[in-house]
Amino acid sequence: MKVITIDPTKCVGCRNCELACAFINSKTTCERKASMIRVNHYIDEHAVILMTCLHCDDPWCMAVCPAGAIVRDPDTNAVVIDQDKCAGCKMCMLACPYGNIHFDEERHVSTKCTLCGGRPRCVGHCISGALNFEEVEEYAAKTRSKVDEQMSRRMRMKCRPTEVSDND
Amino acid sequence: MTEKCIDTTCRMCGTLCGITAHIENNKVTEIEGNPRHIFNKGRICIKGSSAATWLNLPDRLRKPLKRNASGNFEEIDLNQAMDEIAEKLLKLQQEYGANSIGIWKGEGIDFEQQENLARRFAHAVGTPNYFSNDTQCYASRHIAFYLVYGCWPLADYANASLILNWGTNAPVSHSHWMQAINEGREKGAKLVVVDTRYTEIARQADIYIQIRPGTDGALGWGIIHDMIERDIIDHKFVDNFTVGYDKVVEYAKSFTHEKVAEITGVQPETMIQVVNEIAAARPRLASWPGCGLEHQINGVNNIRTMTIIDALAGATDREGGMRIPIGFGFPDITLYEDKPLMESGPIGADAFPVLYDMRHECHTGLLMDQILSGKPYPFKGLIMTAANPVLTNANSQKVKRALSSLELLVVKDLFMTETARLANYVIPAASYLEREEIFTNGARRAAFITGKYLDYGLQTEYQFIKGLAERMGAGSYFPWEDDHELTEWLLKPTGHTAAELHTAPGGYIFGDNPCNKHWQKLASGDKRFFDTPTGKVEFFSEYLESKHIPGIEGLPKYHAPYQIAEPDPEYPYLLSTGARKQKFFHGRYHNIPQLYKAEPHGHLEMHPDDAKKLGVANGDTVRVTSRIGSFETFVQIMHPKEIFKGSMQHTHGFADENVNNITYDDVHDPISGFPALKSVQVRVEKI
Amino acid sequence: MESIVIIGNGAAGLAAIKSFRKYDPKTPITVISKEGGAAYSRVLLPYVLRGKLTYDKLFIPYAEKFKELGVEYIESEVLSLDDKNNFISLSDGRQLAYDKLLIASGSRALLPPVEGIDQPGVHNMWTIKDLDALTEEFKTKKEAIVVGSGFVSLQAAWAARSHGIRVNIVEIADRIMPLVLDIRGSTIMTEQMAKLGVDVHTSAVTERVEKAPDGRFSLVLKDKGTISADFIIVGAGVRANIEFLKDSGVVFNRTVPVDDHMRTNVADIYAAGDAAAGPSAFGDEHVTHALWPTAVEMGTIAGANMAGENTSYSGSLNMNVTEMFGVTVASMGKFNDSDIDNYYVYGDETGKGYCKLCYKNDLIVGICLIGTPETVGMMGKIRPIIRRRLAVDCPPAKLDAFLSLRFFER
Repeated sequence: MKVITIDPTKCVGCRNCELACAFINSKTTCERKASMIRVNHYIDEHAVILMTCLHCDDPWCMAVCPAGAIVRDPDTNAVVIDQDKCAGCKMCMLACPYGNIHFDEERHVSTKCTLCGGRPRCVGHCISGALNFEEVEEYAAKTRSKVDEQMSRRMRMKCRPTEVSDND
Repeated sequence: MTEKCIDTTCRMCGTLCGITAHIENNKVTEIEGNPRHIFNKGRICIKGSSAATWLNLPDRLRKPLKRNASGNFEEIDLNQAMDEIAEKLLKLQQEYGANSIGIWKGEGIDFEQQENLARRFAHAVGTPNYFSNDTQCYASRHIAFYLVYGCWPLADYANASLILNWGTNAPVSHSHWMQAINEGREKGAKLVVVDTRYTEIARQADIYIQIRPGTDGALGWGIIHDMIERDIIDHKFVDNFTVGYDKVVEYAKSFTHEKVAEITGVQPETMIQVVNEIAAARPRLASWPGCGLEHQINGVNNIRTMTIIDALAGATDREGGMRIPIGFGFPDITLYEDKPLMESGPIGADAFPVLYDMRHECHTGLLMDQILSGKPYPFKGLIMTAANPVLTNANSQKVKRALSSLELLVVKDLFMTETARLANYVIPAASYLEREEIFTNGARRAAFITGKYLDYGLQTEYQFIKGLAERMGAGSYFPWEDDHELTEWLLKPTGHTAAELHTAPGGYIFGDNPCNKHWQKLASGDKRFFDTPTGKVEFFSEYLESKHIPGIEGLPKYHAPYQIAEPDPEYPYLLSTGARKQKFFHGRYHNIPQLYKAEPHGHLEMHPDDAKKLGVANGDTVRVTSRIGSFETFVQIMHPKEIFKGSMQHTHGFADENVNNITYDDVHDPISGFPALKSVQVRVEKI
Repeated sequence: MESIVIIGNGAAGLAAIKSFRKYDPKTPITVISKEGGAAYSRVLLPYVLRGKLTYDKLFIPYAEKFKELGVEYIESEVLSLDDKNNFISLSDGRQLAYDKLLIASGSRALLPPVEGIDQPGVHNMWTIKDLDALTEEFKTKKEAIVVGSGFVSLQAAWAARSHGIRVNIVEIADRIMPLVLDIRGSTIMTEQMAKLGVDVHTSAVTERVEKAPDGRFSLVLKDKGTISADFIIVGAGVRANIEFLKDSGVVFNRTVPVDDHMRTNVADIYAAGDAAAGPSAFGDEHVTHALWPTAVEMGTIAGANMAGENTSYSGSLNMNVTEMFGVTVASMGKFNDSDIDNYYVYGDETGKGYCKLCYKNDLIVGICLIGTPETVGMMGKIRPIIRRRLAVDCPPAKLDAFLSLRFFER
C-alpha cells in the first residue's frame, strides 16, 4: 500500500500542504490550526521540517486509546480516529512521539491525518516535490539510486579535469 | 449527469500549470493537478484548487451592469450595453480625437493570444493607446533580455549545475519551477539566492545573500570583475557571438571587493564563494531575475548585468543553462504592420521611448496624469479587462481620481472590484474554463490548449472585442466567428489543428528545440545568431545609446538607487512592496472564504531592531506614510535574519491595508518606465 | 500450553490478550472478571458523566472481537490461588487450572476511615455502577462535596460543575493535585476552578460525615467548620484487588512486585497494571503507577512473555492528561521541586499556558502543563527523551525545534 514519503531537503515551507489539508478537513477554512500536516522552518538552523502522521505499523496512539477509537482503515492502511468514539482525553497526543496528533478545540476531539481516504491532498499540493505518495518499495529504490548517483558524482568530481570542454 | 474529468490549464496566475477539473452538471466540483502535464506533473498550489470555490462564488457577476443617474448599478442587456459602449467610444473619438480612448488588459487574462487581441483592437479602432499590467511587471525584464539577446532565454533548472535566483521566489510565484529546481538540486546543482528578504526559496539555498535593496547591479559587476580576473570566461562564445566585451572588461575593473562590499553590504568571502560555484558549474548556469529587480530605478540595467554573467559563463542556449526559445509559426494578430499608429502620440512613448519601441506599451502611470490634466491631449474613454488598478497600481488615490473622471470606463471581470465600482458599465467575464485559447512555452516548444468546459452564457474576451469592433466599424479586423475559429486560424500556418492539440492538453510538443543554435548558424555561414541589431549578444547596446536617455548609456552601468543617493531623514525607512503570497494573486482571491480566513489582513514586515526602535509589538496597528500618502496596517515582526534592517515589506492587494496608497507613481526606471515599487521611503508611527 | 488465565478485564488484561495473540493464536485464554459485563474504560467514566460521550461509547470495541479469538469470559471472583498445583478457586465454586497466570485484577476505590462516610449518598467514581449512581444524583441534586483532589476527583468535580451543581473540594494536603501538579500548577488550577465557581478547602481533615433526615449531608472538618451538600463523591485512594493471594506463595505488599518481564516471584505467574509494582523509567525497581498507559504497557509485555517471548519493560513513565475547567491539565515524569534541580517555564508569548520543563542532573525528567491542547503534542515528542534519559544539548526554548530537526537526521 502507498505511504506518504517526505524529503525535507526539497521543502521550502510554502505551506500549500497545510492550506490544502486544513480545507479538506474543515471544509471551510485554510487556517493552519485545522491542518494535520505541519511545516516549520528554523531560520537559525537554515532548515525546514515537515511532519505528518507516519501511520506506524505498531501505532502507540492506537495502543493507548482508552476508547478504542483509533483503528486502521482497511482500504488505505491509514490509522484513523473515529471521532464519534473519541472522548478528547488526549492520551494519544501524549503517546505520539512525533507530535502528529492534533486537537479540534471546537468539537473537543483529537484529529489526525487520514490519508484523505487514499488521495492525500497534501501530496497533490506539494509544489516542490518534497511529499510523495508511493509504495515503500518505490521509495526504497529511488533512495538507493539517489545514493548511487551521489557517490558516482563524488567520484567524478575527484577525477574531474580542471578545464571545461566545449562539448560539456 | 455523471462527473467528467477534463485536463486543461489553470489560469489562477501566470504560471499556467496543468489541471484536471472535475465537472458535474456544468459546475466544477474539484480541481487537482494534471499528472500528464509536462511541467507541474500532477501538483497544484492552493490557488489552483481553490478555483473550484472561486468560480462558484455567489457574488460572481452574471449580468452586465450599468451605473444609473443616482450612481447605483442596474442590470442591462448585454447587446444593449455593447451598443451603448461602442456608440460612446465613437462619440468620444469624434469629440476629442481618435487617441482619446484606449484599452487596458490586466493580469487576469494571459499574454500572447489575449494580449494581442487587445492590441489589435486598439489599432483597429484607430488608437495606439494599449495599456497592460506589463508596465508594472515583466516589461522591464523583457526589455533587459531583448536588449542583450533579442529574446528572453529560459532557465533550464532541471539540468543546471548552478542556479542563481535574484529577487525571485519560485515556490510562491511560479510554483512548478520549484520542481525543476529541485530536480536540478537532486542531481547536484547548487542554489544561490540573492534577496533582501529570506523568502521560501532562500530556505533551501546553499548560499543566501541578503543584499542592500536596489544594489544587485553592483553585485553583478563584482561577480563579472572576478570572473574576468580569474578568467572564468567562455572566450570562444564571447569572441564569436558577442559585442562590447572590451567595454565590459574596462568598466568591471572598478568593482573591487571593497567597493562591492561597501555598496551592497555583501562580504568578499561570500562573493568569492559564488564565483567559485560559477567556475565549477559553468556552462550549466541557470539564472532568473524576479520583479524584485524590476521595481527599482535601475532595474533594467541590473537585469542586463545579471544576464551578462550567464553569457560570459557560456550558458547561452546550453543544456542546463539559458535556453533560447524557438517560435511556433503562429501568425501575428497585432496590427503594427497593417495599421501602424506608432507615430500618432501613444501615451508615454515620448517619456519612455524604449518601453514603447520594444513593447508598444503605453504608460499606465502617465495615463493617470494625462486623464487628470488633459495634456498633451484629452483621454476620455477606457475599456478595461481583467485588471484592478485602483488596488494594484502605484498611487491608488490618483488612479481612483483619474478613472472616476473618465467619461467612459468599462470594466470586464468575474467579480465586482474596486475599479469596477467606478465604472459606467461592468461586463461579466467568462473564466479560463469557459473559453478556448492556446498557451505556449518557447523553450520546450510546447503548446497547451484549453476549451469551453463550462458554459454560463458569459462573454469571452474575443467576443467582447469583436462585438465592440463590429459596432465601431472595425469588424473586418475580427472576421473569426468565435474563439474556436480564431484558434484554428492561429494554428493553420503551423500545420497543426486544435483537435491535435486537444489530444495532449498537458503539453503538445511542436518539435525539437536544439541547443547551441548559434554554433549551427556559425557553421552554416550565417552572420546573425541572435535577434538583436548586430545579430550578436549585446553587452553594449548601440540602440540604447542612441536613445540618449539622460544618464543611460549602451553599457548597463550601475547607478545607485536614489534612496541611497538621496536618503530622506523625514522618511527614514525603506519600504518594499509587492512580495508574492501563496494564497493570493495581486488583488485576486481575497474573496475566497477559506483563503481569506487564513490571511485576512496585510502586514508590515519588519526587522526586530526596527520594531524595538518604533516601540511596536506583533499585531500592533501602525500608520505608514510616504510623501504620496499614508495608510494603516498591522505589524509583523520577522526573525532578524529574515529581512534587511532598515527596510520593510508590505504586500499589495489587501483592500483594507492598501499599500498602494503610498507608492510612488513618479519615480521611474528611465528605460522601462517602471515605478520604483520596491523602494518607497516611509516613516512609521504606532497608533 | 493448555490454558492461559487472566484475572481482570481492564487495560492490563486487554493489552495482554492482544499481545499474547500476536505470538500465539491458539492457546485458549480464560478471563476472570469480578465486575463482569463488557470491557470498558475507566478513563472514560468522567467524560460520560460530564455528558461529552454517550453511555455506549464506554465499552471498548475491539474487546468484542476477542470472543472470536479463543477467549472465554467467566464472571466470578477469585477467592484463592494454589501456586503449587497451578489452579485458582472461584466464588462460583469452580477451580480453574492454568499453565500461566496473569494477575491484572486492578484496584478498587476506598472510603477513608471516617465516621459516617459509608452510607447512601456517598459515592466513589471508579466503576460503571458509580457512574450510574452519580448520573442519577446529577439529575436532581444541587450541591456536592468532592473529598480528595486527585485526577479522578477533580474530573468528577468538573462533571458535576458542568451540570450546574455547586461543588466544594476538600483536600487533606496543603494544595490540590499534589501527585499531578507542582506548587505553582496547584495555585493556577485553584484559581481557574474558583473562576468557575468551585471552591477548594485545603489542609482540611474530615472528622465525620453527618446525614440529616431529609438526606442533606454535613461534612465536619477539623478546626474548619462544616460544609453541607446533597451528595458526596470520594476519591481518596485505591487498594489493589489481591486479597486472594493471602495464602499463596506469591510475594505481595500493597501491590505485587514484578521484574522487568512482569514476572512475580513464582514461575509462570505474572502481574500487570494497578495490581502490580514494576520498574519505573527512572530506574526504580518497584513502583505502582495506577495509570491507563502504564497498564497497557505492562499488559503488553506480560502477554508477549507469556507467549514465550523475551521482552523487557523499559519502565513506566507516569503521565496524565485530561481537560477540565476549561484547560488542558497534563503532567509527565518528575515535576515537583523536591525531585528536580532545574526547570524552565515557557513564556506567555509561546501561547502554551503554564508549561514547566523539569531537569535533574542536566537531563529532562518531566513536564507539567495547565494550558493548551497543542502543547500536549510537544509533550509526546519529549516523552521518549525522558524515557531514554537522553541528554539534549539545546536551550529549552528551542526544544520543540530541536526535536523536529532530529527527525530527519541521518
